[in-house]
Amino acid sequence: MPKIKKKGQAGAAKNYITRTQAVKKLQLSLPDFRKLCIWKGIYPREPRNKKKVSKSVTASTTFYYTKDIQYLLHEPLLQKFRDQKVLEKKISRALGRGDVSDAARFERHAARPEATGKPRYTLNHVIRERYPTFNDALRDLDDCLSMLFLFANLPSTSAVPAKMIARCERLCLEFQHYLIVSHSLRKSFLSIKGIYYQANIQGEDILWLVPYKFNQRIVGDVDFRIMGTFVEFYMTLLGFVNYRLYSSIGLKYPPKFDQLKDENGAELGAFSLEGVNMATQGETQAVANGEEQQVDPKVQAEVDKIIKQLKEDESKSDETAEEDAEADDEEKPTDSIDKFEPVAPGGDVLPQPAYSGTDPSQLFANFTFYLSRETPRQPLEFILRAFGCKRIGWDSVLGEGAFTNDESDPSITHHVIDRPVVQAATSEEGDGEDNQTAQKVGPNQRYPGRIYVQPQWVWDCVNDEELKSPELYAPGAALPPHLSPFVKAAPGQYDPTLPLEAQQTEAEAIEADLEDAKEGAEEGSDIENDMDVDEAEDDEEEEEEDDAEADAEEDEEGDVEEDEEESKTLQRQLELEAELQGKKVQNKKVDPKTKSKLEHRKALEKKAKEEAEDLERAKGMLSKKKRKLFEQMQYTNNKKSAQDEKLRAKRRKLEKEKAQKA
Amino acid sequence: MPVLKPLSGDGQAPKQFKQPSRKGKKAWRKNVDVTEVEQGLDELNAQIIKGGVIAEKKSEELFAIDVKPDTEITKKLPKQFKKPLKADEILAQRSAVPAVSLKKRPASETSGKVTDGVLPSKRLRATYVTHKELTRLKRVADGHHTTTVEVVDATFDAWADPEEDKKKQMEESLYNFLPKVDKAKAPKTLAQQPISLAATGKQLPAVPKPKGDKSYNPAFTDYSERYQSELRKAEEAERKRLEELEKERLKAEAAAKSRAEAEAAEKRAELSEWEDDSAWEGAESDADGLSSKKKRPERKTQAQRNKIKRRKAEEQRLKHEAAIKKKEAEVARVKHIAKELELAEKERQLALQKAEKAANNNPGDDTASLEEEDDDDVELRRRQLGKFKLPEKDLELVLPDELQDSLRLLKPEGNLLKDRYRNLLLRGKVEARRHNPYKKQAKKQITEKWTFKDFTLQ
Repeated sequence: MPKIKKKGQAGAAKNYITRTQAVKKLQLSLPDFRKLCIWKGIYPREPRNKKKVSKSVTASTTFYYTKDIQYLLHEPLLQKFRDQKVLEKKISRALGRGDVSDAARFERHAARPEATGKPRYTLNHVIRERYPTFNDALRDLDDCLSMLFLFANLPSTSAVPAKMIARCERLCLEFQHYLIVSHSLRKSFLSIKGIYYQANIQGEDILWLVPYKFNQRIVGDVDFRIMGTFVEFYMTLLGFVNYRLYSSIGLKYPPKFDQLKDENGAELGAFSLEGVNMATQGETQAVANGEEQQVDPKVQAEVDKIIKQLKEDESKSDETAEEDAEADDEEKPTDSIDKFEPVAPGGDVLPQPAYSGTDPSQLFANFTFYLSRETPRQPLEFILRAFGCKRIGWDSVLGEGAFTNDESDPSITHHVIDRPVVQAATSEEGDGEDNQTAQKVGPNQRYPGRIYVQPQWVWDCVNDEELKSPELYAPGAALPPHLSPFVKAAPGQYDPTLPLEAQQTEAEAIEADLEDAKEGAEEGSDIENDMDVDEAEDDEEEEEEDDAEADAEEDEEGDVEEDEEESKTLQRQLELEAELQGKKVQNKKVDPKTKSKLEHRKALEKKAKEEAEDLERAKGMLSKKKRKLFEQMQYTNNKKSAQDEKLRAKRRKLEKEKAQKA
Repeated sequence: MPVLKPLSGDGQAPKQFKQPSRKGKKAWRKNVDVTEVEQGLDELNAQIIKGGVIAEKKSEELFAIDVKPDTEITKKLPKQFKKPLKADEILAQRSAVPAVSLKKRPASETSGKVTDGVLPSKRLRATYVTHKELTRLKRVADGHHTTTVEVVDATFDAWADPEEDKKKQMEESLYNFLPKVDKAKAPKTLAQQPISLAATGKQLPAVPKPKGDKSYNPAFTDYSERYQSELRKAEEAERKRLEELEKERLKAEAAAKSRAEAEAAEKRAELSEWEDDSAWEGAESDADGLSSKKKRPERKTQAQRNKIKRRKAEEQRLKHEAAIKKKEAEVARVKHIAKELELAEKERQLALQKAEKAANNNPGDDTASLEEEDDDDVELRRRQLGKFKLPEKDLELVLPDELQDSLRLLKPEGNLLKDRYRNLLLRGKVEARRHNPYKKQAKKQITEKWTFKDFTLQ
């Protein structure tokens, strides 16, 4: 007889613990317990059978793993929480006695670590525990960045203290500086919620969402205590991530922060980055606006030195990485692409592969931008800088730190503007090129030699990694749709931005070519027969042809093997067609090219049919439920692809018409 | 003299003779009987009010020898002597002691001091706590302390090489021969992912990749597709709401009907009960003729009467219980029917959802489609985490008449704060909570104080 097991000694009853039990075990208050769980990454769990944990549980009981809670008992933060609890008790006792001054004294002393010798706690040790490697931290950066950027843009209330907001803002700006210097911003998207950014840091794609300015209302149904706890943790995390990122590119962290400039709304401009090993000698302002104009030769030399050093470091690290790779037989994702090197010394100089013709990170390097006062400065400044732009000017309303506040600066090459075109002014004045000398430029009047674009141009350029034609984005022009760069088009889907050749299927292409050939031939014959051909008639013919082809296809589905017969029937069909239209039989005119194409089509069809058969056979293996599901999927897919085909056909027609006109 | 006295007790100090125990020295001194003294003092006061202490007065003031009758009195007094009202008598009483003047006098007069003309300085209380501070302290005592985490600039690399750390530790251990303290190992369960609230159970991204329809200037096809789908969703929700209403109405109707039936049944039962009762009294009409000849039944004893009474009560109880049981069964039947209806509806919904899902999903790139799924498309699991439901997502859609192609004119949609919070819940990082502003307020009970009635007129 097996040993009799006691109830509640093993299994779910032992593995899980309810929240109330956990709180009692840790001797904490519930809010403190929540905080600790958030910081330590302990999440509510769900036992397979709640009743097996305890009979008294209800549907809303929350469970945790007993081992997790047991582990929490070793947490040094726990002592801090308990100290706080003791303090609370002392204060409440004093208040109950009416000794208000005593209560105030207790509180004062606890809040003054230098007086009591008890330091306030940090979350430093938790970071390493939660994220054992730096890449783990990068993977969780999506949430962190979204949260911090959101809090940086909140108005301060009692729930969200101004100190926290300022701290979030600072950390975010520091992070942006890293992205600018390292050129790791990849994509950005203007959505109705906010602005999405995607960066690639050490091979990790990081996506975050930044709200538009002055848009966030604080609502009641959000628990700020919980959000605040997350923000506290994420602030610590981003601090460490920034430190690591800054030191990885040889910059000192934290960067110098100019309070005065920040108060004047300089934002990114309030920071000045310094290299690590020249902190004593001097400093470079990596993001100084219009740096190139006042280059100090000394500083330049220092910069060169640093860059050289950095390169050496990189190469070193590359080597070490290679060694590591050799040792561990695993590849680490790196941003650099392979180099082709000649095998023997003195070999040919091999052309090196590059990402593209132009470096996307230097997209705006040679331009000087001016931001009109109605444009969003912060995102534009960040994106332009991240893609190599050095000189950005803006209206003084938008804050300090501009390259120039003068709109008429002759060095400006691009002017970002988002104003409607005023009709009256144009009729009155004509073009603005006449009054070049005028100080102020009236509505609708432009400075010559400068490209005017709407803000979307910047985003579209960045996402497509090329400079878009600015005419499409001129002020007052109907903008092309702003597409999401995060959506990959499904294969076979119609994409308006791609040329037809790039997206049509093989079958479609052949069909189109055949049609063209036929049309050409017909036209030839028509010209022989009759000189004036109506387009309408032509259309009709096309339709009839389509019908005939469809018929032919249906016929073909019936018999598979007999190719010869098939061709015969096809020919007969053609003859019939010709008879109907009162024309000569053209089968003799079919040139070898068309013939090969016809054959190709036939092969394709055959292949498709075989595939369909295979699929049918495979479907037989599925259960009835799954088969139904699959059929449904197939149905919708076919519908979709038919729609795409239609769209492509429409475009083909339009293009053809255009070509004929031209 | 009328005196106000409390209802309970005699309104006097406790007396020695009422104190049962005299244990200890202090007990002897306690509650010494002072009634005599108090009485004397009261009497003295009364005498003073009435015109001076009698003992101090001369006998001439107190007594007079009347030698001849006063003839005028008979003239003054009316024929029928009328005794004045007691109330008038009381009101007419005047104290011999003059009243204390209420006039305000200057301070110098009252204190009788001459000041130097310099105002005395107010002593500053060093331990004074302002009211604002006090409220803050109270909050702290209630556990609403402000953040105690110190967020400082990072000054070291948290992910520095762990090998180095180990080396350091090794070096340290060379010179340290104390036993090393074992650090608590994190359990494996700690590394497990939180429970995602998606029906598929897959982990959701923190920031879902936005599709083209979320663009501020969307392509027409994207936008119209999204718009149509939202429209369909809204219509479905409205339909559901109406159905729910209808169901509720039906339920209420059925309940009312069954109630009426039960009542009717009860009435009928009551009627029949009266008929039955007559049998117990032994007053059956058909047996009357026979019984007349018979000996009249004996007079019932009290015990018999009690027995009958008990039996009746028992019968009544049983009947009542049966009626209640019937009623309950009917209600349960209604519930059952409602449940059946609900189940059928649920099944239908499930089937519909499945079909929709299948239609949306591509067969080939299953994972890709999941990755691209937006927050609002996520199908939620049935069992929620914790007590409260996941809050609904805001509709993030710019209406067609508000659609602008200029960034300047864009009206941002949705609330990012709510969005982030919901995302946290969705990924199972925390359980849902709801702000309850009235939770901690103590329940107040209003009572009337009776002290204003707590006296008697003597």
